[in-house]
Amino acid sequence: MVDEATVRRAQRGDAASLEAVLRDLAPYLGRICGAIALDAGDDALQEAMVAIARNLGSLREPAALRGWARRIAVREAVRAGRGGRAIPVDPATLDPLGLDPRTLVPDGTTAVEVREVLAALRPEQRAVLVLRHLDGLDETEMAEVLGVARGTVKSRLHRARAAFRERWTA
Amino acid sequence: MTAETWPTAVLRPIGRARALAAGLPGTAIQEGVIDAPFDRVWGFIADLERSVPEFDVDVARIRIVDRDGSRLRIRARSSWRMAGLPLGFDVDLEDGWCWMVARPRLYVVAMAAEPDPDDPGRTRYAHLEGITVRPRALARATRWRTRHHVASDVAGIERALGLRP
Repeated sequence: MVDEATVRRAQRGDAASLEAVLRDLAPYLGRICGAIALDAGDDALQEAMVAIARNLGSLREPAALRGWARRIAVREAVRAGRGGRAIPVDPATLDPLGLDPRTLVPDGTTAVEVREVLAALRPEQRAVLVLRHLDGLDETEMAEVLGVARGTVKSRLHRARAAFRERWTA
Repeated sequence: MTAETWPTAVLRPIGRARALAAGLPGTAIQEGVIDAPFDRVWGFIADLERSVPEFDVDVARIRIVDRDGSRLRIRARSSWRMAGLPLGFDVDLEDGWCWMVARPRLYVVAMAAEPDPDDPGRTRYAHLEGITVRPRALARATRWRTRHHVASDVAGIERALGLRP
């Protein structure tokens, strides 16, 4: 992970530091964009990287780089996955908070099978799953990343979770 | 289920160049399609000692002085048009990606190439170049010159590959 001094240099316009920041973020954000946007993942990642490079100067605290970049990547990936329509998302579709997908999809599941399950979901559902499984975010953090209120998310959770589990175990 | 089984997106070389251009207002980027396969195009470009003096009218000579995997240090001498000045660059040279940062870090060059997904006989190419100093007013003032220089470089690559007279 790049250190804070490198991020600060990148914010001041140092090209080598900016390249180092983008290189460091690419694999991490690539997992987020790939799982949410699927076939549009490469395009979403590129758009996220362009937005990150253009707006890096507005990041107040360099230590918050990954969380800030993650928000941008999720936004771009959901938009790409929905065919270009922007979030905010409908909170009713934020199903699987609190769900541990490891209990539903056993070890040894192939990449093709994971992709098939993901493809059956909406992009915002995939976003929640990715943030939960790959990043281990709690529901407060996820609500913040996705730009919806935690209370709203919680109130929708119970009903949505059942439908979600059904899909995973079908 | 492990993270490895999740679909993963990749930042390709041209996407990397576009992102850098977005974050470096003193640079200009030009993209195009070269009518030759990727291996031929990149085989030419990656031979920096030969290729850069051939396509860049402002570079008379390049010499690799140190190499550690994909990391190179090169010394360049500008052409008579640029007063024959010596320049040093730190270079990252990978398949489809060449990132050159001058010493001191006032000037950058990026060359990015990847096979055209619509036609494997052609190559998508992006060329970024420019200054990295502030203030932005200076960057704006040099952008016109940079745009023309980048266009000249791309034309030089096509000439070297025998694709234009």
